[in-house]
Amino acid sequence: MRKVAIVGGGLAKFGVRKATYKELAQEAGKAVFDDIPNLDKKDVDSLFLGSAGSDRFAFQCYPAPLVAEQVGVQPRNLIMRTELACASGQAAMRAAYASIASGLSDIALVMGVEKMNTPNLAEAQTTMAAVMDREWDGVNGMSAPPFFAMIMQRHMYEYGTTREQIAMVSVKNHDNSASNPFAQFQKRFTIDDVVKSVEISKPIRLLDCSGITDGAAGIVMTTEERAKEFTDTPVYIEGLGQCNMGSLVSNLPSLTTWEPLKVAYRNALEMAGKGIMDMSFAEVHDCFTISEIVIYEDSGMCEKGEGGKYIEDGNPYVGGKLPVNTHGGLLGTGHPLGATSIAQTVEVIEQFRGEVPEERYVGGEWALTHNLSGNANVHSVLVMRRGG
Amino acid sequence: MMAKIELPYLLDFCPLQTEDFTRIHAFFDNLKEGRLTTTKCKKCGEILWQPRTVCPHCNADEMEWIDLPQEGKLFAFTEVIYGAPLGMEQDAPFSIGLVELDDLPMSVLARIDDVHFEDLEVGQEMKLKIVNLEDGRVWFRWEPKK
Repeated sequence: MRKVAIVGGGLAKFGVRKATYKELAQEAGKAVFDDIPNLDKKDVDSLFLGSAGSDRFAFQCYPAPLVAEQVGVQPRNLIMRTELACASGQAAMRAAYASIASGLSDIALVMGVEKMNTPNLAEAQTTMAAVMDREWDGVNGMSAPPFFAMIMQRHMYEYGTTREQIAMVSVKNHDNSASNPFAQFQKRFTIDDVVKSVEISKPIRLLDCSGITDGAAGIVMTTEERAKEFTDTPVYIEGLGQCNMGSLVSNLPSLTTWEPLKVAYRNALEMAGKGIMDMSFAEVHDCFTISEIVIYEDSGMCEKGEGGKYIEDGNPYVGGKLPVNTHGGLLGTGHPLGATSIAQTVEVIEQFRGEVPEERYVGGEWALTHNLSGNANVHSVLVMRRGG
Repeated sequence: MMAKIELPYLLDFCPLQTEDFTRIHAFFDNLKEGRLTTTKCKKCGEILWQPRTVCPHCNADEMEWIDLPQEGKLFAFTEVIYGAPLGMEQDAPFSIGLVELDDLPMSVLARIDDVHFEDLEVGQEMKLKIVNLEDGRVWFRWEPKK
């Protein structure tokens, strides 16, 4: 197995964009190649495209060759689109890792593109609800906000987690995204703003939710040897973990304890030979505020049921014990499904290079990225190390 | 009553229910007769939810239909205010709950009719409500047991 490195990356601005799916791809592609001036597009032999719902959101099937043409690459070793709902981008990275490690690909462009905002928001909500088992969960109106609302309701019931503690996640992550020019929401909020924002699916309110976001992101992955041609600060992928348990909401092992998360974190960290608290920072999947609370607990940052107290005590802030979501998370930057994980990775690159604003700079040697997908039934984790 | 569905098939959440479209049409036939049923594997005895044609535990493909309890206790719940999909927007606000069936280690998710979030609590007793759709299809919901 060959060691795999990330050598650079870039983003299209996240938000409600006056731009098409293809234009978002062009914008992110330009950012990637501008970031890696020594890379000749002709040397890109593979393309992995994370795109969760292009078929529905943008009425575009078969988007991988479409994106290849938009960004000007002609893959000859492997081209594929990966779909794993909210983790589609990390699925693309994992496929690229496997292809490079095995020797099938040498230089891979890994992109995530999602155009979610259409003139009719209910159409986007319909696509999101079809991420659940459409005939047996979606039919009941079950979708992401109601599902995570049930988790929030149960977490408050089981552990006494307070409304204010949960709101702190939104305040923290918006504080971080305020200085991120690519974020959908460059605005700070107070706990009071969060707990009085519009009700979406009780007890979840608007500022507990990540955005419906147009966005694109890209990175280039290659071997350890070739990485030196492109950067002095490669990011090595040292650990991978992924686990799925179940699909139908009724059959999940638990709402408030995410068993597949535990497996994914354990496997990724063991592969890297590290513990969760050895990470310099972590970019995790705060699709809703309550998600980050459960992640603190089930990743081992704190004891089960102590997630609310963990943030109240200041641990996941920049300057705290283990900064979480330094780029602003999904809550602050938005959540263009396929692009989300790639954007987390761009944050890792920029943190390691020291290219982020001082107020949210952490740097360090080790970072973890995590995406959950669907009804938290798949968890995908990558552990990365700064090279150079 | 559920609103009449006039969406193209690829935007319609409710399953097609007749023999022409699904091998578990008996579930829907039974539901129309007032019975909540599912499949039990004849080989390993596992009770499967949702109904199946092949047992995911032992791979056998012989099933029998069994009746499920029509009452249970509320485990988790929410009330959808905004963001309902097409075909359900006009129903909002509506509640959804995960109900643990009485006398069986199984939970069933469905909408809960005639109740708001503030009036729901964990452990509350629920009973099944069968809803006939105008187009001849059928579905199920929960409602608080009075």
